[in-house]
Amino acid sequence: MTWKRTLTGLLWISPWLIGFACFTVLPLVLGAWYSMTDWTLLEAPIAVGTEHYARMLGDEVVHAATWNTLIYIAITIPLLTIVSIALAMLLSRPARFIAFWRVAVFAPSVLPLVALATIFKLMYDGELGVINRGLEATGLQGPEWFTDEIWAMVAIILMNLWVVGPAMVIYLASLRDVPRDLHEAASIDGVGRWGRLVHVTLPMISPVILFNVIIGLVNAAQVFVVPYIMTGGGPNRATYFWSMYVYDAAFRYGDMGYASALGIVQFVAILLLTIGLLLVGRRFVFYRGAVS
Amino acid sequence: MRESPGSLVRIVLLCVLALVAVGYALLGPRPSTSGPDDRIVLNYWEKWTGTEAAAMQRVVEAFNASQDRIHVNYLTMSSIDEKAMLSIAGGAPPDVLGLWSFNLPFYAQADAILPLNLPGIVAETYAPAVRPLLFDGDRQLAGVNTCSSVAVYVNLDHLDRAGLDWRNGGPPRTLEQFDAMIPRLSVVQDGSVDRAGFLHMDPGWWHWCWPGYFGGKLYDVETDTATIDSPENIEAFTWFQRGQRRYGRDALRRFQSAPTDNPSPYRNFLTGRLSMTIQGPWMARVIAESAPELNWAAWPLPGPVGSPEAPAGPIECDILVVPRGAPHPDEAMEFIAFTQRQDMVELVSSLHAKPSPLMEVSESFRREHPNHSIAAHEAILHSPNGFGTPPLAGWPELNAALTAGVDRIWNGDEDVAMVLAEVQDEVEVQLERARTRRQRRNQRRFGGGP
Repeated sequence: MTWKRTLTGLLWISPWLIGFACFTVLPLVLGAWYSMTDWTLLEAPIAVGTEHYARMLGDEVVHAATWNTLIYIAITIPLLTIVSIALAMLLSRPARFIAFWRVAVFAPSVLPLVALATIFKLMYDGELGVINRGLEATGLQGPEWFTDEIWAMVAIILMNLWVVGPAMVIYLASLRDVPRDLHEAASIDGVGRWGRLVHVTLPMISPVILFNVIIGLVNAAQVFVVPYIMTGGGPNRATYFWSMYVYDAAFRYGDMGYASALGIVQFVAILLLTIGLLLVGRRFVFYRGAVS
Repeated sequence: MRESPGSLVRIVLLCVLALVAVGYALLGPRPSTSGPDDRIVLNYWEKWTGTEAAAMQRVVEAFNASQDRIHVNYLTMSSIDEKAMLSIAGGAPPDVLGLWSFNLPFYAQADAILPLNLPGIVAETYAPAVRPLLFDGDRQLAGVNTCSSVAVYVNLDHLDRAGLDWRNGGPPRTLEQFDAMIPRLSVVQDGSVDRAGFLHMDPGWWHWCWPGYFGGKLYDVETDTATIDSPENIEAFTWFQRGQRRYGRDALRRFQSAPTDNPSPYRNFLTGRLSMTIQGPWMARVIAESAPELNWAAWPLPGPVGSPEAPAGPIECDILVVPRGAPHPDEAMEFIAFTQRQDMVELVSSLHAKPSPLMEVSESFRREHPNHSIAAHEAILHSPNGFGTPPLAGWPELNAALTAGVDRIWNGDEDVAMVLAEVQDEVEVQLERARTRRQRRNQRRFGGGP
């Protein structure tokens, strides 16, 4: 009867399986095949072997995009983690209008990224933006956000803090799950607030931190919409990210084969980084109730 | 396990619903291929929106009114070049596509557009600078919708206040004369720029054009080589960098950061913070709508001493093509031929405030044109020194490399020759790769060499 049960189970999940096969596995396999072809999209593909992968090694645009993406990941993930945990802790305390504050922090995440990026582009605008006007009101000269290579990257990273809501909500839920008696026991032992945060709270929510960091990594490694709208990758490719090159190669330069190769490398890189994080997580993440 | 009668009914109902859904998908209604009175429907995709789209709508309506056989269905959309590419690749393109002239080489190289056969239209129908943007040798690949050349828009009140005698002296005849005007028009106090005479990066849309004024070009068609770091181009971009150094990078950043209340990309010129700017002919419409009190004129930007007498300037066209796989190519060409009629071209050009791309221009078109300096744009368009983007399938990639270099030249203090040499190297690699790809395709098509 086991095979019959298996078959019944497969039949029940077949809508998902078919969707997964058609919209995830098939594009991945096709992407791998196209990455080894010269394909303009308008003509039939021609097999070129691993030519595109070899090209990446000497491609200066790839180097710039890799560097920018790594910098972005390295700054965004710790920053988002710290800010979202801090906000979650703040919003986990009883306070007046707490529901309003929680909604206020989460609400921007509901907006489409395209709309948010467009709004922020106006806010950062050197001439019209409220940010520079606000700085001017305090006697400070605001930077020209999008013509300076460093400030352009800073602008994109800061904008991401606006969509901290989903991570914050997950942290908020996990903070409620931290046993109160552990905090009480630590207090009785004379552990201060900072000590309780480091030795009680963070270890107890470490699986959630790992989860959010992995999700953050996957998102950060594919950053596209915000820099595409806000800076277009400039100035001097200072905010040109990997996904933007995939898009440009495919649709602006008519080089779908190379774009597929870039996409496959991106996929493998994210996979390896995720595996690396999971391995690191084994050492630092504490699973309550796990058998040691 | 026995099924209860209720669950059996549910399963039967679900199966019936599934069958209905599949049947609807397979046999349901299809888009109509016939229009009013059973006319053939042409789908025409255009990139314009707003006023510009409405102008073309009038041509479409005129065509539909003149027809009892064909009906044009006019659809405007964004990112049309990408959608066009996907629709052609997917085998479901529209009948007529409105693209930009710089798209043409890529589509032509991939045989993704059909050569046009438009009765009574030859290369000489169009202004000289327009011809290479539409024709490949004798083959016409595209019709023209509108066309624009880029000129310098000047705030005449500023010139008067600066004591520049443009009424008797006329526009500057050399770049040196033009350069000499800039400091006289600029208002700089304690290192702070209150008004700029001219800024090369305001609006910064035609950074590829500067070599053209110095007799330089970015790409040599004959030899299929990049000429980014030619002496003329170095001279052009050195002049470009001097534009930044005239005020200083930090002063310019402060100038660009100063708050104004005008959200337009033309705001510095419209609000009087910039005395001269390079712009297309639509600027007349923008000024009429946003700053009608502005006293302005447009002149061709002159070249340096020793340049040819005829004016130079960049030229861009909006083109109409019939994509490969179009359902009704003959009817599509009939529609394009209609749009090339002098009255139709003049109607759209006038509503766009642009010059006519045709050789024949009616007196009424000039007389009633919304841009009172249209003669300057026409002079560039009909000049042998008017120039378009290089006829290169890889232009977007070349332009991306050039843009990064231009950013370095403008924002940094880097040596122009060195930056251009690096861009040249990058573009040479692009061109070499393009040659290899062409060779591969030709080998497959013809079994021979490039």
